Order: sequence, then structure tokens, then C-alpha cells
Amino acid sequence: MTGLRMVLSLGLAGSWCVSAAPVEFNRDIRPILAKNCFSCHGQDAKKRKGKLRLDEEEGALAPRNGVAAIVPGNLSESEMWARIISKDPDEVMPPPVSKKTLSVEETQTLKLWIEQGAKYEKHWAFIAPQKPKIPKGATNPIDAFLQQRLTKEGLKPAPLASPETLVRRVYLDLTGLPPSPKEVDEFLGDKSSDAIEKLITRLTKRQTYGEHMARYWLDLARYADTHGLHLDNERSMWPYRDWVVRAFNQNLPFDEFTRWQLAGDLIPKATMDQKIASGFNRCNVSTGEGGSINAEWIYRNAVDRTSTAVEVWMGMTAGCAVCHDHKFDPLSTKEYYSMYSFFHSAADPALDGNKINTPPVLKVPRPGDEERLAELDKKIKQVDQRIAQAVAKIKYTDPAELANPPKPTTKETVWIEDVVPPKGKAQGNTPWKFVNKPEPVFSGTKASVREAKGLSQHFFTGANPPLVIEKGAKLFAHVYLDTLNPPKEIMLQFNSGTWEHRAYWGGNKIDWGKDNTVSRKRMGDLPETGKWVRLEVEPAAVGLKPGEKLNGWAYTQYDGKVYWDKSGLSSTTNPAKDPAYSWKVWKSQKEDDRNKDLTDTLRKRFKGKEPAKWSEAEQKELRDHWLAKAYTGAQKTLAPVKAEKAKLVTEQETIRKNTAVTFIMADLPKPRQSHVMIRGQYNQPGEKVSRNVPDFLPPLPAKPKDRDYNRLDFANWLVDGKHPLTARVAVNRIWQQFFGVGLVKTSADFGTQGQLPSHPELLDWLAVQFVEDGWDIQRLVTRIITSHAYCQSSAVNRSLFEKDPENRFLARGPRYRLDAEILRDQALHLSGLMVSKVGGRGVMPYQPPNIWEPVGFASSNTRNYKQGKGEDLYRRSIYTFLKRTAPAPFMASFDAPNREQSCAVRSRTNTPMQALQLMNDIQHVEAARNLAQRILKEGGKKDDDRIRWAWRVVTARWPATEESKILQSTLDEHRMRFTKDTEAAKKLIAFGESKADPKVKAEELAAWTLTANLLLNLDEVANKN
Amino acid sequence: MNLALEYHQLQNRRQFFRGAGLKVGGIALAQLLGQRAMAAKPTVTGDIHPALPGLPHFAPKAKNLIYLHMNGAPAQLDLFDYKPRLTKYFDQELPDSIRNGQRITTMTSGQKRFPVAPSKFAFERCGVSGIEMSELVPHMKGIADDITMIRSVYTEAINHDPACTFAMTGSEVPGKPSLGSWLSYGLGSESQNLPAFVVFTPTVKNPSQALFTRMWTSGFLPSQYDGVKLRSAGDPVLYVKNPPGVKSTDRRNMLDALGKLNQRTFERYGDPETQTRIAQYEMAFRMQTSVPELTDLGKETKTTLEMYGPNAQKPGTYANSTLLARRLVERGVRTVQILHRGWDQHGSLPKQIKDQCMDVDQATAALVKDLKQRGMLDDTLVVFGGEFGRTAYCQGKLTRENYGRDHHPRNFCMWLAGGGIKTGITHGETDDFSYNITRDPVHLNELNATILHCMGIDNQQFTFPFQGLEQRLTGVEEAHPVKAILA
Repeated sequence: MTGLRMVLSLGLAGSWCVSAAPVEFNRDIRPILAKNCFSCHGQDAKKRKGKLRLDEEEGALAPRNGVAAIVPGNLSESEMWARIISKDPDEVMPPPVSKKTLSVEETQTLKLWIEQGAKYEKHWAFIAPQKPKIPKGATNPIDAFLQQRLTKEGLKPAPLASPETLVRRVYLDLTGLPPSPKEVDEFLGDKSSDAIEKLITRLTKRQTYGEHMARYWLDLARYADTHGLHLDNERSMWPYRDWVVRAFNQNLPFDEFTRWQLAGDLIPKATMDQKIASGFNRCNVSTGEGGSINAEWIYRNAVDRTSTAVEVWMGMTAGCAVCHDHKFDPLSTKEYYSMYSFFHSAADPALDGNKINTPPVLKVPRPGDEERLAELDKKIKQVDQRIAQAVAKIKYTDPAELANPPKPTTKETVWIEDVVPPKGKAQGNTPWKFVNKPEPVFSGTKASVREAKGLSQHFFTGANPPLVIEKGAKLFAHVYLDTLNPPKEIMLQFNSGTWEHRAYWGGNKIDWGKDNTVSRKRMGDLPETGKWVRLEVEPAAVGLKPGEKLNGWAYTQYDGKVYWDKSGLSSTTNPAKDPAYSWKVWKSQKEDDRNKDLTDTLRKRFKGKEPAKWSEAEQKELRDHWLAKAYTGAQKTLAPVKAEKAKLVTEQETIRKNTAVTFIMADLPKPRQSHVMIRGQYNQPGEKVSRNVPDFLPPLPAKPKDRDYNRLDFANWLVDGKHPLTARVAVNRIWQQFFGVGLVKTSADFGTQGQLPSHPELLDWLAVQFVEDGWDIQRLVTRIITSHAYCQSSAVNRSLFEKDPENRFLARGPRYRLDAEILRDQALHLSGLMVSKVGGRGVMPYQPPNIWEPVGFASSNTRNYKQGKGEDLYRRSIYTFLKRTAPAPFMASFDAPNREQSCAVRSRTNTPMQALQLMNDIQHVEAARNLAQRILKEGGKKDDDRIRWAWRVVTARWPATEESKILQSTLDEHRMRFTKDTEAAKKLIAFGESKADPKVKAEELAAWTLTANLLLNLDEVANKN
Repeated sequence: MNLALEYHQLQNRRQFFRGAGLKVGGIALAQLLGQRAMAAKPTVTGDIHPALPGLPHFAPKAKNLIYLHMNGAPAQLDLFDYKPRLTKYFDQELPDSIRNGQRITTMTSGQKRFPVAPSKFAFERCGVSGIEMSELVPHMKGIADDITMIRSVYTEAINHDPACTFAMTGSEVPGKPSLGSWLSYGLGSESQNLPAFVVFTPTVKNPSQALFTRMWTSGFLPSQYDGVKLRSAGDPVLYVKNPPGVKSTDRRNMLDALGKLNQRTFERYGDPETQTRIAQYEMAFRMQTSVPELTDLGKETKTTLEMYGPNAQKPGTYANSTLLARRLVERGVRTVQILHRGWDQHGSLPKQIKDQCMDVDQATAALVKDLKQRGMLDDTLVVFGGEFGRTAYCQGKLTRENYGRDHHPRNFCMWLAGGGIKTGITHGETDDFSYNITRDPVHLNELNATILHCMGIDNQQFTFPFQGLEQRLTGVEEAHPVKAILA
């Protein structure tokens, strides 16, 4: 850190510090004091030493025992100065124990400041920006401000970047995808002065613009598809991600964008989108770990939400004030908890329950779903009417009311007759054997027969439709025992999913099931031999209940010769006593039995009400219902229309089941009382606090008479245009998106510990203009892209690099490595593999084995990675399922955050792991092969044409001769090698799910695949240039 | 991220390339880098991955760290914290004076009773030093005189996720860099062909607890300081294998051309990152050779393999990981971390912990012995322990032979061995119930401060600015190394 400040002061602030130019407190002094003094003489009262504070003028200038730390203009009277230059280790400041020392420059700067009158200023970022006058010169105000500074530094802007470089830069920055050669030509061909504006207009209309812009916001929102802690189970949050994409595509103004996310649920008559947006507050990590203490997690969740909101909109690191007054910024713990109070009454449970839909959630129908549901409702009503009409036509007479009730009738459902039932899989010790007359046959044309020594059987399973056990029915089979060779035992077995239903006759020889239970029940002696006998089994005797379904049946014997024939279920119906025929009987049943035929609503309405008490209207209503639902006599007539209804209901249920949910924000009906939590401990509540904003910022408007302040007030306060931070923080982040570094480098910290803006006036101008433009993000983006600063060449020479290694003066254009998602999307796009489907649940593209598995809980539902197929492999990276405890390597290795907390700026590393991935990852190799196929198909016929075409596809420019030559020679080598080893070539081109073009020779495709692999690994391709 | 660092790297690079002659292109460059890699010890710690200026703060005792993390919280009462007087309290209520109203997890807070469960395992004073260990770790008994046993480590978190996150990153809240990442960031890499920080997550019978990549990733530090996982299935290092059908010579071919073309890009744009990229591709290429060489145990002697136990050659086991840990340290890898799961014994503790110990005891002891016999223990620090301890009272049904224990953050045992650590001492003490620390408490922050100290780092000075704070591994409050255990 010391080094960092030093370089900055040399690089950026050098001329101010060492000359006698006027010293400015915010620019020159506060950073020195913040670094060296404030930890003991700052905002935090508990840590303050000697009751002296130097962060405020009042404290610093106050005489104490006749001595003041600072006497403006008077160095020798200023105790602070005496202490700084003291050689006495007990006296010197900062004290040796702090391990802090002032550099020579810092000491000189402090000296000048005291001499010049020790003027204090409020921290720059806490003063609302005033729109500065645009300096004369360049047309684009951005360039005018930058130019002023460049001149001061003796620098000149670079010439414009080549159009090819520029068009690729703009495409990557607005859509996250490179341009096609056709798109490059289109831009090159447009000679009009506003060609770039037109390009911007074209690109911001694309779906890919929203997807690209959303990606940055999702880092801030800490969006992910799992809870993040402990089991790290899946959570359904993706409708929020899709909404962010939509919001950018619709260019939702940033103030609305803010309100909806912080408080969409509180907006009167909130729309579906506003509610979805409020899920921003629910993107925090959560736990469902057994043993967790509720109070702790309610507290932690609220802290996360507060700190995230403060960091994202105010660029302040409020987290420090959770435990103690902020050491450096004027944010007291009490003020922190006053903001926390806005978020502390969230209605979600302390623990997420490891559920995919931890409440509160919102059902989010897919486009068209709601219309379809309404349509289905209508259709169902129509069908119901037709059913009612049909019922009205039924001329019903209750058999129980007749003077001569009808006789009972017997119905047989024959299951096995001459063949095994449909879908039944016939098996046996030996196959089923059917015989015809003259051998014994009971009915039909055949009977099955078995002759055995010992235990033997034939049976089937898997029959469909199954045999449903009806109430009062009996299972039956016909058997014929051979007189000369009778068995010792015969057995029937029924399969209801298990075979544990057995009935036997004769000796207890077959040792299956448990004797004398339903799994082995003796029914009697062996039947008479030499004649057909009907065997009957009460289902209950073998443990089968009405409604159970049989899918299998076994004929088993011990010794002897046995014929089997016609088997199934027989039932006797007595309409006068059957609730399926008699309304009177149905009514007289117990309530529980009646309920089986009723809908939920009817059940509730008639709960505990006996038929005697039903009114006439109720009698009719229920009777009609019974006729439609349960009366057997009507079912045949009603079947078609009821089937029609069932289909509609099923569709309705399917839509409802498939409707996504998304976490949304809501407050408890009765708010929680918030307290200052002492030292940030969840179980140490201190002073009570109420919802409010910090003192050093503009106040909230007067409190409404009828209610407390809420999150919507907080959101409105942020975007009322007077807040000193919101617009600055927002424009700075967008700036960072296009230049790699923000005007304030520490884009998440605008406090006193953050860095000063490189161009304060420009930042303020952009911020005020942004508000004046109605928080219009696309206008801001256009303003940035049309600036010379953005469009200039990024080439740098050594002396400029040494003067400005980070390109903060912008005497050259931005150049840096592409982000994780862009690198993958670019490869998919260039190869033609990309699937441009929008939105939906996160997909699982290629991932090496053992990324999730070694870290996951056995019981986690995201323990095993289930790699997708087909288009899931080729979707844009924003749609990749994001598991927080084990992020995808293509993201993690290229600095994508794991979304455990808000991230305002990614680091940008350059590692061997990245090289290995771009060279060897199946995704990139497959992309290379598909690119190779494109080269061979679209790139002309000769090697040289193809090389030139390929180069232009990946870089947007034509290659230099030397570059073509290098590629040609490596292509030749690959070709030679694969011609010698076609097996190797075949292996290479088979890598990946997509199939290699069979019309191309393997060795040729393999040679081009490695060449394309090289192209996709070029530094120029991995960078925005 | 850090301008000073970037500058420092740039200067190194610039001198390097100036000396090498920029025009030579990929092949010469590769050879050059290769030669440097083969040099016995590079004089500078490497062009790509240097130490921070000013680090180490003082001469380190340990150059390498092997951290054996027993994930899930091993029961100190059954392994290292011998409590003979507990036997007479069997099935008696844990005295209120001991529990003292301290919070317990909601897994046992509903229990009607808190009966004391004495360990069923026999303890012994081991070696000359007399450090106490139970029969569960017969092999570790043999290294008693090489270690410092701390019986008084404590932490605040009472559940696994926050506790593990704290043990490895110094914070219960995710987002902070892991210990190994801090070391890579501060001290750089000594290896020209292997990563500076390597992680193992051996497979266990019952993965009843989760791990989190945050335990070895870099948090707010750049991701180049992430621990690199050495894997037992698939590529040992992610993407280290060429695609099917592609040979090393093919890759060399491609890289030669790539180097030349990237060199042209450098000449076009002047961006030093381009040159770093060229060097990183060369490093990647070297890793493609060095990683297979690393995992090939063909040159290990039979005696060595036997010492680590029957699983030594079985990829993905703890034993195999410990042996590889030694090989990594031999090759200049700074930090190796092995995360062994399955130590969360809420029930059936005696049986389960036995299995756990069977899995780690022999190989752990072998690692220390092996390092010692090779003279490597002097500058390698070995740390063994979990994220918290377990309760003296029983969770679930209690018998003499069977019991379970709940989470207990107030005290647990860890041991350290090697570079900078005293040998054969026991530090800290707990009450008769192993429930409260009675002497020399060691907070995990202090333990981490001690580890940093051994590596030549003053934890107070070792900071990184993030979220408005000078972040430290050891937290906001001051934390000091435990002097009493430093050699």
C-alpha cells in the first residue's frame, strides 16, 4: 500500500506535492492524514488517542492546555508539526509502534498546508457535484476535460485507432461479442461523420447488448444460482438475472433501475418486473446449516443487504461501521444501524431451509403462459357446463328406492385367457406352455400347463394396464390337476410391486414368504384331480387392498402336472347397496367415505354436516356432483367429456408446475426493532435505532405522518439528484467498463480511504449531466464511445508507459484482456457454435469432472454436475449455472468473482492456468475445430486465402505478410504430422459433442484445428486492442 | 491491482527481455526460459511471480507450509486432550459451573440433558516429551518429539461453514483470501514450473461435510494467487493435458508460432502484458511436463512408499496426497494444503473416528518423518487440525462404548511441526471437561500470526487495501505470534 501511494503521488500528483502551488485539503492532505493519523485521531471515538481528532477542523484547531495541534499559518506553534519532526521516539508522530512513517514528500506537503492556512474541506465525494464549465477545445466534453490535463502533463492524445481495431473494440464493449467480417466491412464502408453513432445505435438495439451490460451488474448484485453456504443448494433466482438483461435492453433509467431493485416490492401497484427486481436484496448468500442460530442469520442477512446497497449506490465501505465507528469516513455505528434498519425487517426466514424457493417468492410465468392459463380456465368452465348439461339429462332412479330392487350381478374381469396380458413379460423355470384340446382346456382355446419335479412355476410381470383390485371383488383362477401325476402343492402369487401376496393349497412345501401371513397363506387342501376347479382368493387374505394394482401373476407348483386357465378378478354388484349406484346408499356412508368423491371446496363446505341437514339446493348440488363423479351408470356417457376436461386440467397443472419462481423482497407486517449491535455481535444489542440516513449526507424528506420511512424512501433519497454519491459512483463504474479503470480507481470506495479521482471536474460533469439526461445509461455510453479518448489508438511507447503505466491520463486508448465470459463467448461465436437463446434456468456447459463433487455435501442437490447436452453447451456464458462454492473454471481462472459478495471491479490476471485452459479446454478445442470447418468452407480454396480469411475473422483486420507466413509454416508442420498419423487426427477432431464435417479429410481438419486453436490463443484475440 | 507490484514486475521483465534480445522470437525465448527453469535455484524469485518488495520482513524459519486440515472438527477429547478425571462423571450432567451459560448449537440446545461422555480410548504419554495421545493415532505417537501440541486453540464460529472459512481466511464472512493465497501474494513463487500453492481434497468414505473453494482461493487478491487443485480424477491440474491426438511436439510447434505472432503484437502495441502472456504460455508448457513428472512415483523407494501406508500409490487418497505434498515442497512449491473431510461425529463417534484416523494417522506421521530424514523439516512447517472442537457432553444416546459430540469452538487441539516451531512441547491447558481454556489460550488469528511469523512475515504489516481497510489475514484486532512455541 505504501508503494501504491508513493507511485501515485509521483505519477499523478507529483507536480502538486513538491511545488509551492496551493495545497488542497481533499486532494493533497486528507490522503496523508487518513493513512497515517486517522486510525487514532479520526472518527472512531473508542480508538481515539489523547482525545484529539484531526479529521475535523474544530478538533485540530482547538487549543488544549494552551496548545493546538494546528495553528493555521504558524508552523512553529503547531504541535502536530513539532511531533512530526521530533526525533524523540516517545514524542514522534506517527509513533513507531504504528509502523507508519511519513515520507519526505508527505512531510513537505503537510508543512505547506499549515503554512498556507491549514484549510479543511469536507471530503470531496460528500459534497454534491456542481456542473463545471467545459474547458474550451475539443467538441466532446470528455475530451475537453482530458485535454486540459494532458496539456498540463505535456502529453498529447494518440491518433485514432484503425477502424478495424475500433469496430472490434466497440462490438466487444457493447455486445461482448466480436464483429463478423461483414459487420467490419459495413462500418468501414460508412464514410459519414456519424458512422460511430450509427454503429452504437445499431448495437444498443441488440439483445446481446442487454446480456453484456447485465453481466457487470450481476457482479455487483452478487447474483448466483445457489445459496452459497453449507449445502449450497440450488435457488431459483434466474428471473431476476433475466430482468436485469431486459432492463438494459429497455434502457430503463438508472433512477428507476435503482428504485425497483431496492424497493420494487413497495412501489404502489408494483408490476411483475418491479417485484422481480426487488430480488436484488435477496441475492445475498444464505445458510440452512443445522445448528445455526436464527438471530445470528437475521442479523447477518440484514448486514449483507445494507452493506451491499451502500457499496453499490454510494461507493462506500460501510462494513467497517458494523463493529465500530468508521475509522476514516464520518459514518458512525449508529448511523450504520439506522440504514440497516431499512433492511432488517425483511420477511425471509433466517435460514433458507436449503430450498429452491425460500419465501417470499414470486411465480414468474413465461411469456404466453398467463394467456394460456386464462384460456384453459375458460375452456374448463365450458366443459364443466357440458358435463352439467349431460348430468341434467340423466334420468336417474335410485335402485335402493325401488319396490323390487335389482338382483346382484356378477362381473368378471378376465386377465389371463389364452395369452399373457398386454405388456406382461412372460417368464418361468421353463417357458410358458399353452396347449389345445384334447388336452384339458377350461375356456377359450388354450390352457397353460406345467409338469415338474420339485418347485416350478410360470409367471409374468409388467402387465399394463394393471389389474385393479375392486372393492368386494375376488381373485380367481381355474386349475386342473393331473390324476396320474398330481402336485404336492399349488400356489398363486400376485405382484403389486412386490410378490409378497401368496395363496397356496395342499402341502406347505414352497418356502417363500412368511408362513401364516399374507405372504404365504394356506387356502385349503388340494382340489380334486381330473377336473376343472375354480380357485378363489379374497384379496385381503393375501394383503391386497381395494385400489391396489397388480402387474404380475404366478402359477406355482411343487411336483406333478398342473393345467391353468381363465384367471382374473370377479366382482359382484348389488346396485341397491352400492354407493356407486345408489344415491341413498352414498349419502348414508360415513363422512370420510363420502369425502373421497368430493372436491376440496365441497369437503370444506360440508364438513361435519350430516345429510339430514342438507337443504334442498344442497341435496341437488351434491347429487349432481355424485352423478357426474361417482355414479357408475353415467360414467360411460360422460367418459369422453370428462377425458377432455382431464386433458385441460393436466395442461394447466403442467404450466403451473413449470412456472419459475424467483426470490423477491418483502417486509414483515410488523417491523423488527433495530439496535446498534455492539462490536457487530448479533447477540449484543445496544442502543435502539430508527430508520434514517447518515448526518454527513443530505437528509430524508419529512417523515410521512402515517408511517415510518421505508426502503422506497431510502431508494428515492439515493436518486433524487441531490445525493453527492449516487450519480458519481454510477458513471464512474460505466467509465471503468470502457476504460478498464474508473476515474476513481477504487470504484467501490469513494470514502477517504479511496483514491482521488484522476479528473474530478470530468467526473462531476458526467455525474450532473447523467442526472440531467434523466439517468439515461445509453446516452452516457454513447458520450463515452464517441470521445476521442475512447477511439484513439492504444499503442504505447516506453516513455509514455513509464509516465502513465495505468493509462489514467488517457493519452492512449484502452487495451486489456477480455473478461472470462467474453473469452468463452467469443470462441463460441467465432466458431459458429453459439446458440443465441435468451434467458431461463442456468445451463451446465462443458466442465471437467470433479469440480463440484469433491467439495459438495453428500446431501447437496448441487453435489453432482450434470453436464447439459446440445444447445446447453453453447449458450452465452451469462446463462451458465453459477454454483458459489465451486464456480466454473472458465469463470474462476479468468477472475470472475464467485458472487459470495458484491464485486465492483474484477482483477485482471495473466496466468499459466489461463494459457492451459485456452489451449486445452474441450470447449475451446471444439470451437477451434468448428472455426477450422468454417475456414475450409468459407475461406476460399487456397491456404493463403484461408489464412487471411481466418485472421480477419478473429482479429477484424487482414494479416501482414509475415503473419501469414508464420501461420502457413505452422500449418504445414501440423499437416505433415497428421498425414503421418491419421489416427491422431481423428481423435483430435472427435473432441467435443458436435460432429466433425465428414466431408473433410481428418488430417486436413486436424491441421486446421490446431491452427485455429493458435488463432484463438493470440494475445490480440484475448485482448480488446 | 497493486501499482507498486506491477511496476516491480515490469522492471524485472523489461531487464529480462532487454538482456535476452527481443527479436529472437518464440523458440529462443522458450529455450531461454527452459534453461532458467533448470538452473539449480533462480537468483531472483522469478519474473512472473516475485515476492512483494520488502518481503519477507525478516529471515524466515520456514520456506514452505503443509497445512493438514481435518474438516468437520476432530474430537480433541478422543485424540489429544486427555481427561482421566472425566471417567467418574460418566452420564452425569455437565456442571453448570463449567457450561457457564455458553451458547450451544440448535442441534443439541433442545436436549433435556447434557450427560458427560468420557473418551473410551486409552491415552499414553509419548516419546521423551510425554505428549499425550490416544490409541487412535499409534503412528503419530512416533512423532511426538517432533511437534508442538496446542491444546488451547479457540475460535468464535459454532458451525462448520463460518468456522472453516475463518480457519482458512481469518474471516467468517466469505470473500477474504486464504492463507495460502496470502503467502503466494506476499512471498511469490520459488518454482518455475509448478504453481506456488497447491491443494488436495482427498476422497473419503463419507463426505458428510462440504468444502468451499473459498478455503483456497484468493478472495479480493488477484486470482493468480488461487490455490491450484491437484486432482485425482481427470487432469491432475485442470487442462494440463493436451487434447486427444495432440502431442507435446505439436504443442511446441503451435507455441513457437504463437510466441512469434505475440511478439509482433507486443511490437505493435507495446503492452508489457503481452510479454507476460508469452512467458505464461511457456510456463504452461513446462507444467505439462512437470505435473506428470510430479505425480509419477516410480522413483520413490519401496521403504518410502511403505512408510506412507498401503494407499500411498492410490491417487485421490490422503496418503497419496501427503506423499505428493512432500514432492511438491521438494520442487519449490510454497504452500500445500490437504483438506480431509469426514470428522463431524455427532453420533457413533468411536466407530467413525477410528475410520478417520485409519485414513490419516500413518501417512501424517510418515510425512513428518520423511521430511525430517531428508532434512526438509527444518524449513517446512506442518500444521494439523480442524476448524473447532467437540463437546464433553454427549449428543444423542450415551453408553460407555458409543456416544456423539456436538460442536465446541471454545477449545480444541492442533499441532505444528518443523520450521520455526519448538519440538516436544505441549502448550495450553483446558479444564477437567475440556470445556474451557485454563491456560495460554491461542486464538486462530494468533495461530495464523504464528504461521506467518515462521514464514518471515509480520502479520501486522502484511496488509492489502480492500473495502476501505488495510485487510489482514489475522483480522482487524492485533494478533501476535505465540512466542512460547517458537524455536
